[in-house]
Amino acid sequence: MRLSVDTLTGARFDLEDLVFRSSVYLVIAGLAALVLIPLVIVVAVAFTPSSELFENPAVWLPSEPTTQYWSEGFVELQEGLIHSFVISVGTAVIALFVTIPGAYVFGRKEFFGKRFVFYAIILSLLFPSIVLVVPVTARWLEWGLYNSYHGLWIAFQIFITPFAIWILRDYFSKLPENLEEAAQVYGCTEFGAFVRVILPIARPALIAVGFLAFLNGWNEFLFANLLTTSSGVQPAIVVLYSTLHGGQGESIAWGILMAEAIIIGTPPAVLYFVAQRGLRGTFGA
Amino acid sequence: MLGVTTNLSVFRQRAINAKQVLRRDWLTYSMLLPVLVIMGTLVWGSLLDGIWMSFHEFDFLGRRVWVGLDNYAYVLGWDTFWTSLKATIIFGTVTFSQLLIALIAAVAVKHARFRDYLSALFVIPYTIPGLVSGTMWVFILHPDLGPIFPLLVDYGIINETIYWGTSGDTAMAVIMFAATWAYWPLAFIILTASLDGIPEEHYETARVYGASKVQAFFHITLPQMKGAILIAVSLRTIYNLTKVSQPLQITGGGPGFDTSVLGILVYRFTEGSQRFGLAMTVGVILVIVTMMFVIPYIRSFERDTNTGGVA
Repeated sequence: MRLSVDTLTGARFDLEDLVFRSSVYLVIAGLAALVLIPLVIVVAVAFTPSSELFENPAVWLPSEPTTQYWSEGFVELQEGLIHSFVISVGTAVIALFVTIPGAYVFGRKEFFGKRFVFYAIILSLLFPSIVLVVPVTARWLEWGLYNSYHGLWIAFQIFITPFAIWILRDYFSKLPENLEEAAQVYGCTEFGAFVRVILPIARPALIAVGFLAFLNGWNEFLFANLLTTSSGVQPAIVVLYSTLHGGQGESIAWGILMAEAIIIGTPPAVLYFVAQRGLRGTFGA
Repeated sequence: MLGVTTNLSVFRQRAINAKQVLRRDWLTYSMLLPVLVIMGTLVWGSLLDGIWMSFHEFDFLGRRVWVGLDNYAYVLGWDTFWTSLKATIIFGTVTFSQLLIALIAAVAVKHARFRDYLSALFVIPYTIPGLVSGTMWVFILHPDLGPIFPLLVDYGIINETIYWGTSGDTAMAVIMFAATWAYWPLAFIILTASLDGIPEEHYETARVYGASKVQAFFHITLPQMKGAILIAVSLRTIYNLTKVSQPLQITGGGPGFDTSVLGILVYRFTEGSQRFGLAMTVGVILVIVTMMFVIPYIRSFERDTNTGGVA
């Protein structure tokens, strides 16, 4: 079909096609450079000894690469990374326990008040969650949740619940209609059908949402900074912030800082790509 | 006689139905309960509590003291607030640069090979925590040490390096650039999904009628992506108006308060001084400002519901 159209309309399209094709790849090359060049610079700097860096600011690749900053960065971040990990895992586990059953009933059940509750959830995505940091901080100080793992686990649900409900509801509602009935014919209870039939089928989406929740717990800075102190469960990302704004002035160790940025930035990037597979078709990612 | 028995059986049937519905809904509601608790207390409860907080001052023991509209009077009469509001709105316009890049990228990727790999590549900036990419740009755009400015000077593109941290306009330009870099992929994800949903036949029909690619773009692609564009604009505007981590890391809100977006004010009041009343007053105003910018988009989205739900 397409071939015949091309031959019908003839040469006019060939020139246009050529211009179009080349501009497509030009744009793509430009965007790829925009994404990659900063990352390359940062990786290069993390390997560049400070003597080279200060002598020649525009240096792109170090002549004598060093891994010193990486080991120093790891030492500095060690505690923070452990905190980050515990915070993110706890956040993800709670998020799954809360949102899976909730999203399931939104996706597959009819009940009184369904539309209202669903809109209340989605609407919360549409107002800035940053304003919630103030009441949460005040309450957490009052209730002794301040500066604790479980305090952050609970607080981070604010971001994840609406998002996860949205994604999982879609996934559940797209599953074949009479799965539960079939399971019940074979002797499952209603809840049993959910646990033994629906959950195993939905596993890719559940894993993906778990990863996204982990990612959120890892990346979130504002709540993490306001709800923790350096003597407590401060995650790595807050350590990175205080390293730059710790008041050392001109003597910032850029090599270490860049190594730390990469150390913190890599896990979420990797996780995102793993999660993306499970999300394909549900979130259009 | 006959009527009575039918009535009775109808009632009995209804009672059985109600019982069944109750039984079924009991499970449904208990499965929903955790979500209701989180959304009810943490999200909506906190919001209401926060609005209530904005009418109070907090004494040194953390007790609430009712002050009525004093906080609002203070904030609205405070020069820094207006500087900050201006900064917020200027910074909020990064939505458009993010959208423009995302749109160009989405169209280009659709016509390229290795689409999956390219999409994956383009999403990288978004996966990096905002504070981390902020840290990266602080170095890369460092006037003396970073590689960019010395290079521009060497090639004679600019006369001398720009100490962007010392002027409000250039500092704003830098945080806007960093925010564009970091968050255009989010709009890209939404737009790509919508672009994939446009049926190929539309383009074939257009070609049969002799439309050029540019014409096809403006008459087929753009109209069909309207819904997705509105979603992307609304979501991005909300998040851009409330962004904190990147500006905070790159400029700390300075010089002066020129890049102190409202989110940074909220943060400052909450962090050091624990002036929760004032923090929340700024927060409430931020919500109002955000809604003023977003509601028109949502309304126009509702007007054409046939554009299809995306992501």
